[in-house]
Amino acid sequence: MSELLTQSETAMREAAERAVELAARRGARARASVQHEGIAKTAMRGGEIETAERSGSQGLSLTVFHEGRRGSASTAGLDRPAIERVVEEAMLIAGHVQPDPDADLPPAEWLAFASSAPLLYADSPRSPKAMLEAASAMDRVATGIAAADSRLRAGESVAVATEGLWALATSDGFCRSAMRSNDSRWTVMLAQDEGGGISDFCQSQERRVDALVSAEQLVKIAAERARSALGARSIDNRRCPVLFEPRVAATLVAELAGALTGAAQHRRMSFLPDPIGRRVAAPHLALHEDPFEPLGLASGGLDSEGIAGSSRAVLRSGVVEGLFLSSYTARKLGLASTGNADGYYNLRLTSTAESGDWAAMLRMLGTGLVVTQFQGGKTDPASGNWTQAVRGLWVEGGEIAHAVTDVTLAGTMPAMLNGIRAVGQDVERMGAIRTGSILVDDMRVGGRA
Amino acid sequence: MNGGALAIDRATARLLGPAGLDEAAIARALGELAGGGADLADLYFEATSMRGWQLEGGRVTQGSFSMRQGVGARAAHRGQVSFAHSADIREGALLDTVRAVRTLERRGDAARHPQGIALDRRAAGHDLYPAIDPVKVEDATAWIAILERIDERARAQDPRIVRVDANVRATDTTVLVADAGGLLAGDVRPMTILSMVVIAEHNGQRARGQAGLGRRAGLDGFATAEIDAMVGTATRMALNNLDAMPAPIGEMPIVLGPGYPGVLFHEAVGHGLEGDHHRKHLSAFDGKVGERIAAPGVTVIDDGGIPGRLGSLGIDDEGTAPDRTVLVEDGILTGLMQDRLNAGLMNACSTGNGRRQSYAHLPMPRMTNTFLANGSADPADIIASIDRGIYATEFDGGQVDIVTGRFNFTTIEAWLVEKGKLVAPVRGATLIGVGHEALRHVSMIGNDLALDTGMATCGKQGQSLHVSVGQPTLRIDRMMVGGQAG
Repeated sequence: MSELLTQSETAMREAAERAVELAARRGARARASVQHEGIAKTAMRGGEIETAERSGSQGLSLTVFHEGRRGSASTAGLDRPAIERVVEEAMLIAGHVQPDPDADLPPAEWLAFASSAPLLYADSPRSPKAMLEAASAMDRVATGIAAADSRLRAGESVAVATEGLWALATSDGFCRSAMRSNDSRWTVMLAQDEGGGISDFCQSQERRVDALVSAEQLVKIAAERARSALGARSIDNRRCPVLFEPRVAATLVAELAGALTGAAQHRRMSFLPDPIGRRVAAPHLALHEDPFEPLGLASGGLDSEGIAGSSRAVLRSGVVEGLFLSSYTARKLGLASTGNADGYYNLRLTSTAESGDWAAMLRMLGTGLVVTQFQGGKTDPASGNWTQAVRGLWVEGGEIAHAVTDVTLAGTMPAMLNGIRAVGQDVERMGAIRTGSILVDDMRVGGRA
Repeated sequence: MNGGALAIDRATARLLGPAGLDEAAIARALGELAGGGADLADLYFEATSMRGWQLEGGRVTQGSFSMRQGVGARAAHRGQVSFAHSADIREGALLDTVRAVRTLERRGDAARHPQGIALDRRAAGHDLYPAIDPVKVEDATAWIAILERIDERARAQDPRIVRVDANVRATDTTVLVADAGGLLAGDVRPMTILSMVVIAEHNGQRARGQAGLGRRAGLDGFATAEIDAMVGTATRMALNNLDAMPAPIGEMPIVLGPGYPGVLFHEAVGHGLEGDHHRKHLSAFDGKVGERIAAPGVTVIDDGGIPGRLGSLGIDDEGTAPDRTVLVEDGILTGLMQDRLNAGLMNACSTGNGRRQSYAHLPMPRMTNTFLANGSADPADIIASIDRGIYATEFDGGQVDIVTGRFNFTTIEAWLVEKGKLVAPVRGATLIGVGHEALRHVSMIGNDLALDTGMATCGKQGQSLHVSVGQPTLRIDRMMVGGQAG
């Protein structure tokens, strides 16, 4: 049973239904969602607790549809006066805005009244005491590893547990709810040599504690990442192939997916305008979406409009087959909702091109740059111009030569997507996205000439 | 007038009264909170409401309203902080929250306060911003008209402007801080942000421009001429970017325009001078206070007391009035920004930089309004001094790695300069450097100091806050520019 939640699933559903009912009394159709979360978090460093936190949050969001207009309001209070105020405010807004024919509840037949939903909650120890023990375990390992290597220092080790409830009700008599859990651990390691200091970290995130990476493994990876970044220097300006480690490769996949969302498409704020049926990436690439993976970090049985997603190919042979649409953005584009009102579900990038493990990917890179971290930069969503300051490794003949810093990498997203030569078998999951390392043929590296 | 007794009255009416709380109840809760013998114990009450209107496709079809309130309870023993928060602030829930902190502390009843803690100190008032409520619904019609005018004017600038999105968001935050030292302090913090994005299209090319205005004011703080200037900035940026060529690559001299480009000092200097990073020996500036880190003439200041700015605070989120902290004076590193926790552990005083995103977040040392002080050069002479380099006027944020001191930021409006003349706009240049090296190459500082237009935000450990940044026009002799050209 939950150690962090202070409200019941029934109370969430009742609050959502009450808001919809109060809106109906004023002649409006409505949708209300209610969420509640409990969190325990402990951060340790050098044998001492830095912070111990225990928190609870809740909120209700209401959208009313009235005479072709809509209004949205939200509150952190779930008592009756707060809900009445929210209904009042949402109606006031609907009274001020102009009508929008595309803003309405989706047709009732689209709603996932009874479809099966994936498991999002697993019972696990999540008390503040359990977080203290988990953070202490990581901190002990980190202190031990640091004691064995004079270049290393332990940073903070953090354990966080979250449990949540969510309920959705609409004027169509729809009411469903879900319970979710999330367990997260991360540790920071610092490395220092005569050239200066550097920090890196390793994180593991799951919906159940026993699926997390072990404290030993987490600290070992963070230490190795920090150590391997020592002695970094810049390289000359050049064009060369670039290999993105899985944890940074996931960011590129997120850029692609972001350009295919309904919001980006209908606002024309996408570097892939009118993409359906168009080849936008190398022909060996596919991107699959799966909302239903049990305990997946981005799984869900329905979106915040009550519409279920589907297991599907978004990209096949480099050609766009689908977008991520809500009923609103779908109407704006003359399409049907894909059940993605809250963004994309679990995504996996795959490739039919020659591939291999990390060592094989380094050999395929040959001589070029491995990117291990994005330090900051920007993708222009309208033009796709992409530029980043990066940290990484210089590789010659498939062997790591030295760590790299103080370089920039620039290109355009469309050219980069077409320039992907391979996706590694070294698959990792970063939140919603699973990908191996990504090898891009030829990019512009700016360094200290 | 704001702060002082007025703000405490406002907070009492808005937060405490509806929850059935009074000062005596807060005193009791504080007594319980400090009962483990904490060095620092405080309660932070907050009520925030927000109203927004959004223009899309020429019409305002969306609006939103939100309200939240809650309390955060913190107790610290040396560096160990225990924290809990609750959206329910009635006395029973408040005491549950306080007891959750005591449980996290695991220290027993080391210092019982059975009578509670007398709240006998009051913070002074201030005149930095008015104690108004900008969220009132009566302003709706006027704001909607302003948004529609923005759309019309932007499209009228040029037929290549094909899309305009604009929105306004007005926020009213009332806070009340009570601590175990007996302080009770309140503040009413109005904020309104008007922002827009435009898309220009021509010959298959697409480009984006953005601009905004942020004020600690309501509707009457936004003059028509300023709004028109904002529209001009966004459309000019989109049209310039439509024609832009790839940015050059390599080390070269750069000129940064006045205002928002001062984010350089926020990233390259500011973050590395926050007290927590020094207490934990994480900052690249650790141990460098008193050393030269920048060229003579470079003076960088953090000042939370500039009227009307989004980084300004009558009191910080720990009840301390903000200082004017000189971070770098004539090139020498001089000061750190502190909150109470880190100041206490470092034998220093809080500089009024203890800020938090909300009651549900812990305070940390954070910047307020951070800027480079004026120099004496004529901005035109600074541009004319460049043989070949970049002139950048607008950036979209920036980042710094505290441990290495390496910072970067990416232009959204910049020009290639040759022989002292602007040659052509360039797109997407990322500038990189190391804080304690790059600023040694500052060679000319203009006399046109300006702060940003009120759109600057700062992220740290997952907490986002509004700040101000600023600078006069500035020349740096050597900086690494990374673009797509070459």
